Amino acid sequence: MSELALAVFAAARDVHAAPRETRSRQYEQFAASFDDRAYVDELSQRGFRWLARSDPAFPPLLGAIHDPPPGLFLRGAADTRVLAAPSVAVVGARSCADYGAHVARGLARGLAAAGVVVVSGLARGVDGWAHRGALDAGGTTVAVLGCGIDRDYPRAHARLAAEVAAAGLVVSEYPPGVAPAPWRFPARNRIVAGLARATVVVEARERSGALITADLALEEGRDVLAVPGEITSALSRGTNALLRLGATVVTGPEDVLEVLGIAPRPNEDNGGPAPGSPAAAALAALADGAATADEIARNARLDPAATAAALVELELAGVVTSQGGVYRR
Amino acid sequence: MLARTFTHALVGLESRRVEVEAHLQNGLPAFAIVGLADRACQEAKERVRSGIASAELQWPGHRITVNLAPADLRKEGSGFDLPIALAVLAASRQVPLGALAGHAAVGELALDGRLRPVPGTLVAAEGARRGGARRLVCAAESGPEVLLAGVEPVPVRHLAEAVAYFRGERDPPPVEAPPGDVAVAVPDLADVRGQERARRALEIAAAGAHNLLLAGPPGIGKTMLARRLPGILPRLDDEEALEVTRIHSVAGLLPQGGGLLRTPPFRAPHHTASTAAVIGGGPHPRPGEASLAHRGVLLLDELPEFPRPVLEALRQPLEDGTVAVARVGGRVVFPARFQLVGTMNMCPCGARGDPAAQCTCSPQRLDRYRERLSRALLDRFDLVVALPRPRAGELGGAAGEASAAVRERVVAARARAGDDLARTTDADALLTRAVERLPLSGRGHARVARVARTIAALAAAPHVAPEHVAEALAYRSPTELAVA
Repeated sequence: MSELALAVFAAARDVHAAPRETRSRQYEQFAASFDDRAYVDELSQRGFRWLARSDPAFPPLLGAIHDPPPGLFLRGAADTRVLAAPSVAVVGARSCADYGAHVARGLARGLAAAGVVVVSGLARGVDGWAHRGALDAGGTTVAVLGCGIDRDYPRAHARLAAEVAAAGLVVSEYPPGVAPAPWRFPARNRIVAGLARATVVVEARERSGALITADLALEEGRDVLAVPGEITSALSRGTNALLRLGATVVTGPEDVLEVLGIAPRPNEDNGGPAPGSPAAAALAALADGAATADEIARNARLDPAATAAALVELELAGVVTSQGGVYRR
Repeated sequence: MLARTFTHALVGLESRRVEVEAHLQNGLPAFAIVGLADRACQEAKERVRSGIASAELQWPGHRITVNLAPADLRKEGSGFDLPIALAVLAASRQVPLGALAGHAAVGELALDGRLRPVPGTLVAAEGARRGGARRLVCAAESGPEVLLAGVEPVPVRHLAEAVAYFRGERDPPPVEAPPGDVAVAVPDLADVRGQERARRALEIAAAGAHNLLLAGPPGIGKTMLARRLPGILPRLDDEEALEVTRIHSVAGLLPQGGGLLRTPPFRAPHHTASTAAVIGGGPHPRPGEASLAHRGVLLLDELPEFPRPVLEALRQPLEDGTVAVARVGGRVVFPARFQLVGTMNMCPCGARGDPAAQCTCSPQRLDRYRERLSRALLDRFDLVVALPRPRAGELGGAAGEASAAVRERVVAARARAGDDLARTTDADALLTRAVERLPLSGRGHARVARVARTIAALAAAPHVAPEHVAEALAYRSPTELAVA
């Protein structure tokens, strides 16, 4: 049985690539005329690779799940070893709040800086910010698509996908040309959960895709962590429910690293802004949480010009992030 | 019996000399106006006839033909009433023929013979000066405008007064002192409490004539801030003021008895305004909001709500400071060098950036909202400021600095703008690093460099230092807008 033939056959018939598909007569006819090598050649001409499940490089964690894919199509420069490296899935709502975006980015940044591969689904919202955070830290990140490997979905993330491919891998169980369909996203989520040693849910409504990922991770016996949110926010209902069920509380990248048994790297040697500088004052003004530029200026006793300059300095150093005029550390 | 007078017809912002000939022939009494006169101009017949009767003058019982030459130029409006009346009166010898020499006339007649001012008298007067006329007979209200053009006005209230003047029964009215500047009430920045970052951005925008985009939840004072921009801009110099006054004269927006408009104009068209209303146009091209905001501020409140064609049409004036309107009758160019200020919410429901509200927009809806603004247009905004909702406590703060104080700094910075400010090596390094780290396009690089130069000029610094670049970077597109 050719795994590649199964993957292509299932995609062409718009069905899930389950092993039982190989028992049909249509499959036998298809497999008889399918030329593996020619297909792989064509893939590589378009810049894609194929990693079969039987390949020793296939990530063992993914191979161990209940319903592993026949293999993965890969796009990107990185070695297939990144798929087997210690990794964490960071997932959450597509329409996340500024809080979720900030937390996802910050967590991914901290995890990537500690050498952990950040896995997510390239979706809008939390997924996208998780990839960005990992890229910020110069780390490795893996995006799992719910459509053909040649597609960028959502289109708005085409540039992000290219950046992920340059610094890590974009993977999919679907061959080129497969259009995104609603049922493929839960299937994609099992690969996200399957690739990662632990899954962190950042913001999730009740009955959301991120909770599906968390459930899949639980079924496979992986760790599930959740970021607590405001109890009044609908975007936190899913994560807070996970916490009540016993998910590990995430308050920072250290909590995730502890679950993985990875020692956090000692603080960066540059150690933040010089004491006494406007940047240090601005950073201190952010100690109590998010603040607007005007609030920071008032608390740090800086004029608006110096505040703006100090905050940009901190942004470039990756110490604070800004969204909609609100700054967070 | 033939007589002629001169007037000046508007063509866009220019005027062309029009000769008004009146010919009285024997025959059945009739009155015809020829020479491509539009409807308002054809209706002059009735006004002129009644006006002459009301002035207790004789309506000649002849066949009267009035020709407006050159005949190929379309004549529009009611400003021809007075010159037509004078030509008819001169042809019937009720006004001495020779007395009309050296005079031009413009004005609309009321049925009782009173004279009404018409739009564009300033432009007509400038045409009269170029055409060699010494004096312009006009409505009393238009006197100051005529004086601005350097022509001696003969302001009259009634047709009878004009006739008396030409008959030498009445001395020409004394030359008035040049009119003072028009006083325009501009709201003061002192009314704005808090919002220090936005005030600072407004000052930089004024100092560098940068286009400014304010983004934030509704009701936090975006429009309030934008309305205060003209108050901190330098006052217009003579030439600029004359340009602005001319445009407002043509649009009929000049306040009565006014002189030069020295305050930078402020225009805020609603987002339901048509392209022609914003850009200018119409069968007889008239200046639109973009031209009325020439040398001043054009505020587009709720920028994404404007129809795409309007926004795209604004790209020409943003690029070269002019609007070209092509019509069958020719092409008219209006100046439109304005400073653009846009406001927008962060999302269609308006809750983003507001800690007290939760955004309910779906990602698709959010994308659609942002897609309404093309990259090309967003790139025109040198300064983008995200204004989150301030906490209640801030609004009780002290009143802010007054506009006059800010304007002094702006004027000083503009005076230094000519200096060639170079970036230091450190500042260059910072800019390069920022382009790598932040989502900045190639144009974004140039924008930041421009703004940094303005900030350095405001600070009276000899070079563009890293802190200037850093501050300029704070006013880039917020990430939400930049991530395509």
